[in-house]
Amino acid sequence: MAQDRTPAAFLAEIVGKPVVVRLNSGIDYRGVLSCLDGYMNIALEQTEECVNGEVKNRFGDAFIRGNNVLYISADRERWTE
Amino acid sequence: MDTNVLRAELIDKCIGSRLWVVMKDEKEFVGTLEGFDDYVNMLLRDVTEYDTDADGEVRTNKVERLLLNGNNICMLIPGGERPQ
Repeated sequence: MAQDRTPAAFLAEIVGKPVVVRLNSGIDYRGVLSCLDGYMNIALEQTEECVNGEVKNRFGDAFIRGNNVLYISADRERWTE
Repeated sequence: MDTNVLRAELIDKCIGSRLWVVMKDEKEFVGTLEGFDDYVNMLLRDVTEYDTDADGEVRTNKVERLLLNGNNICMLIPGGERPQ
């Protein structure tokens, strides 16, 4: 297996960058990924809570418990800003 | 025989090709598999997310690259695009 394309390598690559975290409930959290662990517990900075693409709330820091996480993706929209 | 290795090899063969992932709930993902780990968390590229609501209406969402939590994955279909 290509070692640089494992989930762990991807996570190391996106730490400190803008990400979108989607929960199983469908709610998105957009923010800068400050750190995470093997359970996918996540700490975000400058967090926006989005429901159906609409910002509902803003938090300075947010901790997300890993069991709720559906996926983590790099946030290209904020990347290019 | 080490069955653990065989299971991983089956998914390993799919790396670089399109993969249709069906979740436990009404969600599906189609994307190019880049990698995976022991929990079958999956790294996907050029992903389309399909979310079927209670009325049977499908909402799609495109994501360039994502790490999918393996916890809710139900089924993997190699080479598959999702039938419309």
